[in-house]
Amino acid sequence: MVSVFLEDDNIKVKVPAGTTMKEVALKSGASMEFGCRVGDCATCAVHVKSGMLLLSDKQDKEVKALEIIGGNLSEIRLMCQCSVRYEEGEIVISYGL
Amino acid sequence: MLGAIAALSESVHFIGAFDPKIRTFDIIMKTANGSSYNSYIVRGSEGVCIMDTVKKEFSESFFQRLELLCDYDEITYIVLHHLEPDHSGALEELMLRAPQAKLIISGRAVMMLKGIIKTDVPFEIANTGKIISLGNKTIEFLSTPFLHWPDTMSSYLHEEKILFSGDVFGSHYYDERLFDDEVGDFGYAFKYYYDHIMRPFKKYVLQALKLYEPFDIDIIAPLHGPILRSNPQFYINKYAQWSSEEKFRKYEFGNKMLSVFYMSSYDNTHHMAQKITQGADSIDGVVASMYDLASLDERNMIDLLEESDAVIIGSPTINGDAVKPAWDLLACMAYLESGGKIGASFGSFGWTGEAPEMLHDRMRWLKFRLPVEPMKIKLIPTEDELDRCSNFGKEVAEITMGKMVEMEI
Repeated sequence: MVSVFLEDDNIKVKVPAGTTMKEVALKSGASMEFGCRVGDCATCAVHVKSGMLLLSDKQDKEVKALEIIGGNLSEIRLMCQCSVRYEEGEIVISYGL
Repeated sequence: MLGAIAALSESVHFIGAFDPKIRTFDIIMKTANGSSYNSYIVRGSEGVCIMDTVKKEFSESFFQRLELLCDYDEITYIVLHHLEPDHSGALEELMLRAPQAKLIISGRAVMMLKGIIKTDVPFEIANTGKIISLGNKTIEFLSTPFLHWPDTMSSYLHEEKILFSGDVFGSHYYDERLFDDEVGDFGYAFKYYYDHIMRPFKKYVLQALKLYEPFDIDIIAPLHGPILRSNPQFYINKYAQWSSEEKFRKYEFGNKMLSVFYMSSYDNTHHMAQKITQGADSIDGVVASMYDLASLDERNMIDLLEESDAVIIGSPTINGDAVKPAWDLLACMAYLESGGKIGASFGSFGWTGEAPEMLHDRMRWLKFRLPVEPMKIKLIPTEDELDRCSNFGKEVAEITMGKMVEMEI
């Protein structure tokens, strides 16, 4: 199981590989903002403070949306566009960019 | 009658439209004497920029004013500070008349543009720091999202010290004299607009004010109501004050406030509420209080919800639903920031008992944090069940005080 720590809400969720980060946020009762939920609006962009390699690769749609909002793209993901891809490790998420 | 072509300066004019007859705006806001859809034209030595358009039904007066001040082939830029229909209603027609003009929108507006104009149109994205030049005029863009649409931005005309603030600092107030030092007393409309449009986005208001801070502002040109030129800082200070108001309990005692709202048919949900409140109040740092929804009016609901760090709602199940006052309470969240508040729900039931789950689901969509499952008890709670209620209150209170929530999914 991978541990996902949602720093702003002080929530730690253990999830198996394949779990989407949208599921993590919604099922844990996290307070983060979602907009379109399909990768267009970038409302759910978060700062991945550690564990970026444990997340699935960015697809073109996400890259395009992230380029629009700018910032350090190597540390930002859209929660609606990524999932956990390994069985062990820790991911730390902060909502503020 | 076209009415005013007001000049903000030698090179900036109002070309918006007046709507004195509107009485309800965006379905929810009352507009006692109408409103205006403000748009502006900025003329430079090497081009003309149009700042926003108007609601579609008012396109004619917008184009009439525009045509008095420029030819369509002079327009080099069209800026939409956000794409809400009351400001983008004439955009498609304007782009047909001025096809050479570059459309400037924020990054977040891209996904909405196709919903407004059904064909592909060229555009440029403006984030904070982007600058465009009209020769002797310079316009700088500032990203001010969620005020009150996700795509909202502002811009600043350096040479004239004018802030085009989008809906920020707006009022639904019709007065063709237009400038704040000439119109009637619009104070109530300015506050009402803030309360209904900006209050849910206080943290974004404060971010925007910080972004405006380095700029020397002589005039604020919002998208609705009077143009603010007499003392812009007065209005900035009002927004700062309203967006930073300390919560009463926190300010005075430094405690977290937990509110238990309930309604009860046969006192069963009431008894649950009492135990939950007692349990929550036993946690250091939390002040828990309970309120009977039958005796709260909307104003009190809004203020109490805003003050509360945690909100627990109890309702019996009647005809497979939670009771109407519980839904009315949650409807008040439309006026408030909800992200980050802790939420929970409970209720006694006779037959089906859907109410707590329904409230839980609604609170999830309203962005409450919901760390505990809803609590349901069949009819009259036993002593053991009342103990469970007390523990339920304690658990919510501990999480409100910062206890980490650990779970597996």
